[in-house]
Amino acid sequence: SVSPEPVSPHTLCSFSSCSSWLPQRVPLRGSHWQSSILTPRTVLPVRAQPKKKKKVDVRREQAQKDRMKKKLKKLEKAAPELIPIEDFITPLKYSDGSRVRSLPPLSPEETERRVLLLKKWCLFKQKQDEAEKKAIQSLVESQQEALKELRLESEELYQAAIQRDEGLFPFERDGPTYTPPLPGYDPPEGRCVDITKVYTQ
Amino acid sequence: SAAAPRPWRLFGAMCLLRLPRITQPLEKEEEEVAALMEQIELEKSHYSDHEIRKLEEEERLKRRKESLHDDDEARGKTVIMAQDLEEKWEQKFLRFKPAPRITDADKNNIRTSLNRKLDSNLMLLVKQKIGNQELWLLPQVEWQPGETLRSTAERAMATFLGDHIEAKILGNAPYGIYKYKFPRAIRTEDNVGAKVFFFKAFLQNSDFTQTELKADYLWVTKNELGDYLKPEYLKKVNRFLLD
Repeated sequence: SVSPEPVSPHTLCSFSSCSSWLPQRVPLRGSHWQSSILTPRTVLPVRAQPKKKKKVDVRREQAQKDRMKKKLKKLEKAAPELIPIEDFITPLKYSDGSRVRSLPPLSPEETERRVLLLKKWCLFKQKQDEAEKKAIQSLVESQQEALKELRLESEELYQAAIQRDEGLFPFERDGPTYTPPLPGYDPPEGRCVDITKVYTQ
Repeated sequence: SAAAPRPWRLFGAMCLLRLPRITQPLEKEEEEVAALMEQIELEKSHYSDHEIRKLEEEERLKRRKESLHDDDEARGKTVIMAQDLEEKWEQKFLRFKPAPRITDADKNNIRTSLNRKLDSNLMLLVKQKIGNQELWLLPQVEWQPGETLRSTAERAMATFLGDHIEAKILGNAPYGIYKYKFPRAIRTEDNVGAKVFFFKAFLQNSDFTQTELKADYLWVTKNELGDYLKPEYLKKVNRFLLD
């Protein structure tokens, strides 16, 4: 029978792994260096020293990671670079005075005409806006009346009518053009290359 | 206990709109102000590269005419003037013939065509038999229990235009109502009159064949509605039409 002996934990593992098919009576006394041929993959245990080394490495690596993180945080805290709006920056070639247009000065009749025209325009736009608002008001009133009558008729139809229509928005439509599309028009060949500058922060 | 019998019959009607395809012509004030804005923009602007080139070439031409010893410039390469470029562009523009804004259907006043009045909304009107009268109405169909009014309106559209119609219905709620009582001969306790609920939809597919239309139909603008609809009906319909 196998007597219990002080053995290192590494050999214990190998024992447990092959306990299923090693006969119990195999003498395995003495040093664990003499492992049987049948034991798979025995690791020759190495003592003490390498464990300490690993701890120091781990600590050093941790310290390095913390330093990197601090640097990253500092960089992120700095305000991001503003993206230049190209429309607001006048290119330098237009800033010298050589391109100023030379036109005759406006006569007082012309300024008078312009002022009166703008006043007429103001009135025109006001009337247009009022007409639009009135039309929308009348539409809303008509809808309210219809819903009121519907409610008088049947509550369930009314509830179905005031449900939100999910399929309605987003609503996209191409607006009207100046001329209708020409049937059988063959547009000229070409490729459009987009050269707009894209800035990232 | 039985529910109180509702004396009103319900109808769902669809106002199908073909949206405008071209822009409306500008009013007089709009044109004047547009011209003024262009002039102001020109006055406030600087010369562009093309204009500077044009000015320089005009100067050179003037100098060449005044002094006669500039012939050595003309020898060698032929220079394309900015003026020539402008004329070339003008010619190219004139060679392109866009589709006319006023179509044949406009000229001949074919009211059943969809190609008429491309700058305004067109509505569908159908001739229907109500009682013993043939009337021009927005397509309507009687409501049947079990369906919402919106589906009644969709059914009305499908009966007159077929299933291949693509229309965007604007919401579940009706836009208007026309209530009328039946003439005394037909009126009973249970059948006082009818309520017609109008729904609005935008026609999406612009080139559907109209061969499926079974009844007499017309596509008319808001101003022409008065030629076909009864005054009371017209009043109610005009309330929810924006034009």
